[in-house]
Amino acid sequence: MSKTIFLVDDSATILMSVSAILGKAGYSVEKAGSAEEALKKLNAGAKVDLLITDLNMPGMNGIELIKEVRKLPAYRFQPILFLTTESQQSRKAEAKAAGASGWIVKPATADDLLNTIKLVLR
Amino acid sequence: MTHTQAPSAGAAGAAALAVTDDMTVYSARARKEELLSALAASTELELDLSAVTAIDVAGVQLLILLKREAAAQGKTLRFSNHSPAVVETIDFCNLAGPFGDPMLIAAHSAG
Amino acid sequence: MDELTATFIDESRTLLAAMEGGLLQLEQADAGDDNVGGIFRAAHTIKGGAGVIECRFIEAFTHIVENVLDRVRAGDIPVSPGLVSVMLACCDHIGALLGVLVAGQPAPPQEVAAEGDALRAQLGQWGDDDGQAADCADGSTVPLSEAVTASGGGVVSSDAWHISVRFGTDVLRMGMDPLSFLRYLTTLGEIVTIETLADAMPDAAEMDAESCYLGFEIRFQTRAGKAEIERVFDFCRDDCALHILPPQSKCSDYLQLIQELPEDAMRLGEILVRIGALTQAELDAGLAAQAQPTSVEFDGDESGARAPLGEILVGQQAVRQEVVDAAVLKQATVKDRKIAESRMVRIQADKLDQLIDLVGELVISGASTHLFAQRSGLSELMESTSVLSRLVESIRDAALQLRMVQIGETFNRFNRVVRDASRELGKDIRLAITGGDTELDKSVVEKLGDPLMHLVRNAVDHGIEPAAVRAERGKPHQGTVRLNAYHDSGSIVIEVGDDGGGLAIERIRAKAIARGLIAEDAVMSGAEISNLIFEAGFSTAEQVTNLSGRGVGMDVVRRDIQALRGTIEVRSTEGVGAAFCIRLPLTLAIIDGFLVGVGSATYVVPLDSVVECIELQETTTGRNYLNLRGEVLPFVRLREMFEIGGDVPARQNVVVVQHAGQKAGLVVDRLLGEFQTVIKPLGALFQHLRGIGGSTILGSGEVALILDVPALLALVTSAEEKLVSPAPSRGRPSGTPDSQHLILQPSE
Repeated sequence: MSKTIFLVDDSATILMSVSAILGKAGYSVEKAGSAEEALKKLNAGAKVDLLITDLNMPGMNGIELIKEVRKLPAYRFQPILFLTTESQQSRKAEAKAAGASGWIVKPATADDLLNTIKLVLR
Repeated sequence: MTHTQAPSAGAAGAAALAVTDDMTVYSARARKEELLSALAASTELELDLSAVTAIDVAGVQLLILLKREAAAQGKTLRFSNHSPAVVETIDFCNLAGPFGDPMLIAAHSAG
Repeated sequence: MDELTATFIDESRTLLAAMEGGLLQLEQADAGDDNVGGIFRAAHTIKGGAGVIECRFIEAFTHIVENVLDRVRAGDIPVSPGLVSVMLACCDHIGALLGVLVAGQPAPPQEVAAEGDALRAQLGQWGDDDGQAADCADGSTVPLSEAVTASGGGVVSSDAWHISVRFGTDVLRMGMDPLSFLRYLTTLGEIVTIETLADAMPDAAEMDAESCYLGFEIRFQTRAGKAEIERVFDFCRDDCALHILPPQSKCSDYLQLIQELPEDAMRLGEILVRIGALTQAELDAGLAAQAQPTSVEFDGDESGARAPLGEILVGQQAVRQEVVDAAVLKQATVKDRKIAESRMVRIQADKLDQLIDLVGELVISGASTHLFAQRSGLSELMESTSVLSRLVESIRDAALQLRMVQIGETFNRFNRVVRDASRELGKDIRLAITGGDTELDKSVVEKLGDPLMHLVRNAVDHGIEPAAVRAERGKPHQGTVRLNAYHDSGSIVIEVGDDGGGLAIERIRAKAIARGLIAEDAVMSGAEISNLIFEAGFSTAEQVTNLSGRGVGMDVVRRDIQALRGTIEVRSTEGVGAAFCIRLPLTLAIIDGFLVGVGSATYVVPLDSVVECIELQETTTGRNYLNLRGEVLPFVRLREMFEIGGDVPARQNVVVVQHAGQKAGLVVDRLLGEFQTVIKPLGALFQHLRGIGGSTILGSGEVALILDVPALLALVTSAEEKLVSPAPSRGRPSGTPDSQHLILQPSE
């Protein structure tokens, strides 16, 4: 049974490229173009083994999404990664404080991405 | 969840218990209470781990805690019928020795 | 081009437009951090996307732009007109680079590259080297330790790495399983031995099963460097105690490790011996030496004073500082949230068109089924088809909604046009946009660009007076061009206005007479004269500029608008300003129609324009108007208009239609009821037909013509106007000469 990874990013380019990489690596991929959409899907009972979200999104941002997801009983202990490009320690700390497990620095190679996923998947 | 099996013949106060679900952090709190009270209710407990398909660090430390409690209370606690997932994890953490229970289904160590 | 690249290009163009919009806003007013953030994010996302599709030339250039914007965002660089101009040029350049990518060229051609170099040089004044420095600073905080040299005596016998880790109690709540990290280690090398320590776990009563209390001592053999091993623990490093000793570390390092770890020294010593990190002899010697107050020494080596190689423990203070930073940042992100941008799913336009086509077919066959059901007289069937009709109607609406786009994006393009044009002319003009969220069909929007451009340029060029004239007239120094859009009974109205000089009525009149458009003695209202500018070949510009003095006049604009089944008119007050008002149907594809019959022919009247239906009282023979509750209603007999033969039935009906405030009646034989229909464009053969907007296929398979209500209204009113002032005009004569004074008052 393949693990399901949920991608949340407002960039269609990122969504498409990352899901292509994940799909090729044998993961099932769920996508959402915004934090609001992601929450809706999770609330609707989407089963997800790992959530990967962008931080800078219009509307609800990634940090807020992480906080909300952590409140859902089914996701209390699921790994959550965030995508970040800015080499900002404070941003990382904020996301971690919100309950994120780890991060992926964009632009990441396919190997970086898959390795990080392998690292945190339960 | 867990359920008690028919007490093993012979030893008084001896009980057998099977964990019928995963041993992950999601159920760790409930599991801890169940297993501790099962231990408290018997002098000798055999824990059947055959149905544990997933175990994480929370499960591992629960097993450690139970062993420690049993030792502190002077009771005997045995883990038996380890599922492949449990064998793999106990083996990975190098806890087979400290736990001291024979692990029968250790596929990779069969040779 | 692959799908990913296509997505990137599409997305980047949208982002560039947003960037440009943001920059223009930045120039106009201090729009605050949200705006700068949005501009930065746009550049940032383009750069990220370029990296994904490996388009290096876009990535590299956008990176520089992003760095400067980052510094603007941080407040290091003040916003200045110079900055905005360069940034706008950068937007253009990124657009050009996207063009290079679209063209499939591997690198920008020389002139584009030269432009890029020039911009880089200009950006240089705001310094782009900081970004790179920051990147480096973040890279790795701990230097690699591959240069650990074997230094003879004092080195322990093992050649494996030693990893000592105590996980933070919250690690599970952070969504991490420490075992996942340890298992991941095996992809880098081999775990020789591992020891699980549960010493930190409290008694059963206090033990929280969701907290993590475990620690591990690991002997690890790998070719990987220290940084790579550290990276495995990156995510939990802030709250775990991690020590990594490279192979052949000194005894003293291990002893220092023992001291730093929470567990009892003897017990740790045993563990280290058991897993092979130290020999018993080394341990004994070490512990003995520790017992003495002197510094630790082994085999005469002075290594005790050395800083531990593996020390990467994060100090508590550093963690606290980050928490403080996080709190500050949290407030900033709440602001970010306010920037609501429209979220959308991208689909290819042709897929959408296909869907709309299918919905169109569905509508036709649904209507046909409904007609048959009505004829059959089976009430159950009729009931079910009416439910079906409602559903089809909803599907139609939803499908058309998919094609609806906000006009704001189109409007915003003109910010740049107005800015550049006004600079060129030395005028100070601002563009005021309202109603940007008004939606209309994408196919309409696409064709609206050119006419709007013409009108806006016209307003900037000819409408707004030079500063001196404005001052003379007591107007504000800054001129205003307005773009506005709103919905009005099934139409969308788009207004292009300005507070400039307005139209010079007398000049237009003189010119119209000179061109033979109107008779010298024609009696016309100011509004009528104003609208003469839409006649072919009309141009009032006294000086030809390179902006709108293209020789082509408003006739082209009107033709464009008419092609969209729309109308355009102008309202003007000399010296105060002018406003062009464009009225368009919401969609070109499907309409709700009202079916009418004349003789054997069937016509469709767009339902939006139908006001009411009345029976024709044939008391006003020969007069083409009737009294509608005291109001004069001109009408046109479709039978005459389309030259339909056959007997006139005893009772005829009038469909009262309305468009842009004008009303008229259409005299028909039969009223056949509402009908939903798909518009099929007329073939070239029929395009000269006045009053016909298209055709459709009825459920019965017959073809019905769709009436062009605005055109019919124009015909009716021009026919009546002719009675008032018999100036040269088109349309066939109708009515009687003696009725000419009656047009302004009730007839009966």
